[in-house]
Amino acid sequence: MIYVDGVTKEFKKVVKDSGLKGSVKSLFNRKYNIVKAVNDISFHVPKGEILGFIGANGAGKSTTIKMLTGILTPTEGRIEINGQIPFKNRKKYVKEIGVVFGQRTQLWWDLPLVETFSVLKQVYQVEDKAFNERMAFLNEVLELNDFIKSPVRTLSLGQRMRADLAASMIHNPKVLFLDEPTIGLDVAVKNNIRKAITEINEQEKTTIILTTHDLNDIESLCKRIVMIDKGKLVYDGSLTEMKTQFGKYREVNMSLFSNEDFDKLNFVSEFKVNDEDIKINRSKEKITVTFNSEKISISNMLSYILKNVQVKDISVNDVNIEEIICRMYGKEVSD
Amino acid sequence: MRFLRLYKTFIIQHIKKLMEYRIDFLTGAMSFFINQVTNIVFIGIIFSQIPNLDGYLFYEIIFIYGFSLVPKGIDHLLTDNLWKVAWFIVRKGDFDKYLTRPISPLVHCIIESIQFDALGELLTGIILIVIASVKLSIKFTFVNVVLMIIAMIFGAVIFTAIKIIGAAIAFWIKQSGSILQIFYGISDFARYPATIYNSVIRNVVTYIIPFAFTAYYPASYILRGNNPLFCIGGVIVAAMVLLGISLIVWHKGLNAYESAGS
Repeated sequence: MIYVDGVTKEFKKVVKDSGLKGSVKSLFNRKYNIVKAVNDISFHVPKGEILGFIGANGAGKSTTIKMLTGILTPTEGRIEINGQIPFKNRKKYVKEIGVVFGQRTQLWWDLPLVETFSVLKQVYQVEDKAFNERMAFLNEVLELNDFIKSPVRTLSLGQRMRADLAASMIHNPKVLFLDEPTIGLDVAVKNNIRKAITEINEQEKTTIILTTHDLNDIESLCKRIVMIDKGKLVYDGSLTEMKTQFGKYREVNMSLFSNEDFDKLNFVSEFKVNDEDIKINRSKEKITVTFNSEKISISNMLSYILKNVQVKDISVNDVNIEEIICRMYGKEVSD
Repeated sequence: MRFLRLYKTFIIQHIKKLMEYRIDFLTGAMSFFINQVTNIVFIGIIFSQIPNLDGYLFYEIIFIYGFSLVPKGIDHLLTDNLWKVAWFIVRKGDFDKYLTRPISPLVHCIIESIQFDALGELLTGIILIVIASVKLSIKFTFVNVVLMIIAMIFGAVIFTAIKIIGAAIAFWIKQSGSILQIFYGISDFARYPATIYNSVIRNVVTYIIPFAFTAYYPASYILRGNNPLFCIGGVIVAAMVLLGISLIVWHKGLNAYESAGS
């Protein structure tokens, strides 16, 4: 269905000193840097799969999606989707895909939502019967009827996102690209959108590629994930596999009678491990110690803590996938 | 046929959008009217000071001036969105939208809007042509009129092609509004007889950026019967060559498009 083979995208970036002086200097003497936004990535997605495409900001997710949708031309490598090369047979290719960029909208901003659908119906040459069935389905799944007559500019973000999702599927695409479809939404709307995506995938066997920063999206939607970092593919596999592969970390959550007690503990010297095997997160109510359970056994860890400090409450947990991904990025995910 | 249907749909949407903001629409319509009246008054004042220019009579100059407004007006009416491409659609990454729809991106962004202000240019142009024709008692024959209309249509294509090139430059340099403005500014030379300029300017507006073919040459055929092969044929050749070049540049530009971060 989707074949991506050795794809690279280079951008020429102007290097500029800061301030007005830097800008003026750069006006006369431009220096360029070649940046590889996407660097030699390959993967394959079979029909009907929902693939989670994750990575930190600036990792190259959007660039990849834009190449897959034919917006950008790869510098190197080959992309084939539905037997077509996106940027080459663009007009024919885009008939079979739907695209949602969470940060932008493709709706007619000044007009009632229903107008967007009727224009798109013509743009994609959808037959009346198919259109009506489609609208009925989308209405049901995304609950558009409440606001279908309101001008798009008056919609709330959640309504707009549902509308954008519907707009991308009016022509029953075989592949759907969702670039951060839940960005900025509240939990209830997120759930709504996830449910809709699942339903669409099940009913129409639509292949979906989804990028997101919300790992709940991933956990509830995707069996498989591809992760990129600094333009390179760093992981391709199932979510469960990733959890086992990186799941050697455990966390101890505790609350103490006196938080100062905790200063008495020194895990690194006690267990003779490296700094990266231990991570401590302190707040007023709770202290979390994340540790590598292959180097420190859970029982040793617990007895060391219990021996030295007065514990009010303590529990040992698996590390959630957010934490795993943080470690893989090698930095904090801010949200 | 599909194109015309789509065009109709898009334009209807555009008009609905204009009417959605009623006050803005009414103000716009009124200012458009005032604009045209002042335009005509000004042209009258300026030209009454120049009774004769390089052997051209006052009403001949009016005729050329009026002629120049028609192709420019047609282009302005239909393809105004290209300015937005040059100024910000590419720079902000909003061009993405056109690339994910099954219509040619160029057609898509052209048919998305219609610039009614241009009707003023067209109207002024036609009024000036009519007045000048009456005063000069120009004899219109069937051939004459058909050739004039053809020249005006292809003249508009010259404008459009130059705008396409100017807008496409934005794919490489992100914002090409100023460049397009310079190109477009040169079209003001077309309002007057090309013979009044020195040879450099004359050659530039004839062979390089052939705005002289959008007014002076075809008008001189009507006014003085100058060689129609050059005066009218030249418009068609210039328009087709430029259009060809502009489409090549545009398509190369699409491949260079870099979108914007999101």
